[in-house]
Amino acid sequence: MTSDALVRIQNVSKQFGDTVALNDLTLDIARGEFVTFLGPSGCGKSTTLRILGGFEQPSSGRVILDGKDVTRLPPEKRQVNMVFQDYALFPHMTVKQNIAFGLELKGMSKTEIRRRQDEIMSFLELDAYGDRYPAQLSGGQRQRVALARALAPDPALLLLDEPLGALDAKLRGQVQQELKSIQRRTNKTFFFVTHDQEEALTMSDRIVVMNKGKVEQDGTPEELYFHPASRFVAEFIGETNLLTGELRGTEGGAVVMDWFGQTLRGHAPGGVPQAGTPITASVRLERLGFHIERPATANAVQGRVVGKTFLGSRMALDLLVEEAQGATLKAYVDADTGQSVGEAPVWIGWEESSMAVLRD
Amino acid sequence: MTRGNRILLSCTYWAFVAYVFVPLVLMVLMGFKDSKFIGFPIRSYTLEWYMGIFENAEVISAFAYSVAIAVLSTLISVFVGTWIAVLLEGRKFWGRAAIFGLTVLPALIPGIISAIAFRIYARYLGIEPGMGAIVWSHAVHNVPFVVLVVMARLSTLPKSQIEAARDLGADPLIAFLRITLPYLIPAIMGASIFCLLLSFDDFVRSFFLGGYEPTLPVLIFAKLKSGMSPEINAIATAALVLTAVVGVWAERFTRRMNKES
Repeated sequence: MTSDALVRIQNVSKQFGDTVALNDLTLDIARGEFVTFLGPSGCGKSTTLRILGGFEQPSSGRVILDGKDVTRLPPEKRQVNMVFQDYALFPHMTVKQNIAFGLELKGMSKTEIRRRQDEIMSFLELDAYGDRYPAQLSGGQRQRVALARALAPDPALLLLDEPLGALDAKLRGQVQQELKSIQRRTNKTFFFVTHDQEEALTMSDRIVVMNKGKVEQDGTPEELYFHPASRFVAEFIGETNLLTGELRGTEGGAVVMDWFGQTLRGHAPGGVPQAGTPITASVRLERLGFHIERPATANAVQGRVVGKTFLGSRMALDLLVEEAQGATLKAYVDADTGQSVGEAPVWIGWEESSMAVLRD
Repeated sequence: MTRGNRILLSCTYWAFVAYVFVPLVLMVLMGFKDSKFIGFPIRSYTLEWYMGIFENAEVISAFAYSVAIAVLSTLISVFVGTWIAVLLEGRKFWGRAAIFGLTVLPALIPGIISAIAFRIYARYLGIEPGMGAIVWSHAVHNVPFVVLVVMARLSTLPKSQIEAARDLGADPLIAFLRITLPYLIPAIMGASIFCLLLSFDDFVRSFFLGGYEPTLPVLIFAKLKSGMSPEINAIATAALVLTAVVGVWAERFTRRMNKES
């Protein structure tokens, strides 16, 4: 990958007894990148984070940080800091003392510490809370103190272990924006771990979807959303239509499949499966278009609206496709279009680039 | 609950309260009696017996001796007990259960048995009866209480606290001194007060292992042998008030500290 990689994870595996938490992970993280490890619990994302932090040792493989092999280094010898899931603020220290902790241990002078403290506290708008104890702060403030404490020693890499999990939904959205902007302004490399796909989509430059200790897909949020490589990714991120059928072959760049007698054309971000095998394809709900006449899109089928759900800004439609043996599709349309669609059959069209043929 | 039951329950309760407190009330009351003999009726009251305590060199020195023993044995118990607690809590190793069992054992052995055992062992080691021997026996007896209290507190310390300290550059020793130890302070304070009171209160071990100088309980016992007198009541009442005040204060103090962190 890039020569500017800050972190290189090379063939890292980790076993806990008989369970394989991480299975031969190889990955580079570029300087200044906001990378999110996304997956369900037990997928290996937290293990990766803990290995980067030095809290776990890999069973095999190496971790290179800034050109140095840090695989066996304890946490205190790494230029890596972490924002813990429960923030882990020291309850017997004030906000200032919490922030100073890492600076003192770096051997900074008193004046340097004070300067850095002030700098980071004004950067995160914590000036007013310097002398408070963690117990006297709100959830959002604690989260910012944890961030300030981790950023203060100027780490090369910042690890964030689901730091938004403890916040209520409204605050979470706000903090997501804040985190992203802090990352941009500091130009630090953020390694973020979450099981929340929405969080991952809004903040990340790059998302690595993990499942059962392996990488399912690695790409930008847009790539993962519109061009999922596997069924796991398609289902884990957002809502989607899954079309099961049989692979016919390839034609130009397109993958041709049979969907209950309908010939459909898609693309295969995860690689083209073998011809004649049963396959699944994914089409996002908002990628289906509605037409009176047969559209010129790569794929077009006729269907009937059998159900409508009003969702405020948009509407969800349930469609019955009789010519595909009564298979159903789901679509999002704007509220006006939703209102105007009646009982009569309509044409549903979508492009080749909107349909991803999945690895299973 | 029927009315009859409720009355029965409250009668039982007050009977129990009387059973516990009447002897204490009598003891306190007799300390104020203006006569050399204990018993009703009390015709007139005096503070003489209480004033007498402060002029009695024998009592004062026994009190000081008891306090010194309590402080020394507590310091040892807290140091050893905290050490063992930190070693045992949250770790798995071969022989952990055995070490834990041996640690707690001294608290379960009857006082008289352990006192005799200490006496024999002290003789065997050539330790003279006296302050050193008493401090030693009190310290051993009190270690289990420290271990249990500190372990209970330690088990509530989130693992992420230590990890955060390590993450910010602290080696294991610094993490212990700056994070774990401050977290343990309420437990250590509570255990200390408890040890102080246990030691101050102890009669059997102090009696068996003491030299010529008596601790306060041993002195009271010696005085009792030469006959009851309101003076003994006054001494005992003073000791009671002191331990009760320290005990209640410590309880509230540790509860407040626990709440704060």
